[in-house]
Amino acid sequence: MRTLIRWAARLYPATWRNRYAAEFDALLDDISPSLGDLCDVLGDVLRVRATTSLDACLVWAAVSPMTLRLPVVLSLTGHALMITLVLLTAVGYVTPMPLHVVVAPLPPPTPDPPPQVTDARVFPNALTLYSSLPLMPAQGDTLSLYVADGVGINFLSLPDIGATYRRGNAEWRVWPGQALEGLIVRRVLPEYPRGTNTRGAVSVFVEYLVTRDGSVKVLRTSGPARFTSAARSAIERWVYRPLEYENRPCEVVSRVEVRFDSEVAQSGLSR
Amino acid sequence: MPDPTILILASLADGDKHGYAIMEDIQVFAGIRLGPGTLYGAIRRLEERGWIRAAKSESRRQPYRITAEGSQHLKEQLALLGQVVRTGNRRMREA
Repeated sequence: MRTLIRWAARLYPATWRNRYAAEFDALLDDISPSLGDLCDVLGDVLRVRATTSLDACLVWAAVSPMTLRLPVVLSLTGHALMITLVLLTAVGYVTPMPLHVVVAPLPPPTPDPPPQVTDARVFPNALTLYSSLPLMPAQGDTLSLYVADGVGINFLSLPDIGATYRRGNAEWRVWPGQALEGLIVRRVLPEYPRGTNTRGAVSVFVEYLVTRDGSVKVLRTSGPARFTSAARSAIERWVYRPLEYENRPCEVVSRVEVRFDSEVAQSGLSR
Repeated sequence: MPDPTILILASLADGDKHGYAIMEDIQVFAGIRLGPGTLYGAIRRLEERGWIRAAKSESRRQPYRITAEGSQHLKEQLALLGQVVRTGNRRMREA
């Protein structure tokens, strides 16, 4: 045990050994050392080592302040920077970089809105009014003859769409006017009736039958007589391709609103 | 365990002693055996504070002598300790 303690005493710093080694060795010769003494010496070695290291640093700094100035400044600067970044992150001024960049798929392109089928020559500001597209010239006439200023066609929303009416041996099916647009061969717009004193807009309603050969026959009208007459005379000149339902020829009933506007008509007539 | 430095100062109060003599003396008057590490740790601190100093000796066994500052410090500590002892004893009797 004495030998072990002497080995442990070699762990003291050189300054301690130069000062106390001889008398410490003499002390070990005088006592009967135990394991507790070994632990006691090792504990004191640690205390002396720690104290000596700290003292050496302080003495060195006192002798040469520049030796420790740069590391101290660098350490303080680094810590201050880290603390500043943490504080900035905490208050939201710095956004942490995400670990994984999630790229969301782009939404499908928005389709273009359906074109508003409106004849600007008739009611420039009335988008619900369907006019004369496709407008086909009547036989032997020019196109302009059948484009009447101040007159428009509005396809109505039919409450009995798809219904079937039987008249004798005939069977009429109710179709909306929009469904017949792809089958039209000729359309003639009504002309604003001359000599009327009506001001503003006038609407008449016309129910018509598209026969098996594609010609049109007006069944009923509603509205002022002179305007219904103008609408009837124009609509009965419409021509469709022969209609079929389930591969069989059929006759179709539809209804439209014909709107007359005196102000637009007057401006057109004055041109 | 009391502060080893006070025990060493008390041991040196009646004359110079080397390490082993200090250990034996403390064990006699205080019943405490200081380890060699504790003993020389306390001796080193006492020397650094100027409370003891090494006396002249030709032997390997270095005797130590208490200084005037060490004696003053020991008086102050003993006075404080005596006050604590008296207060504790009085309160124990009153309890």
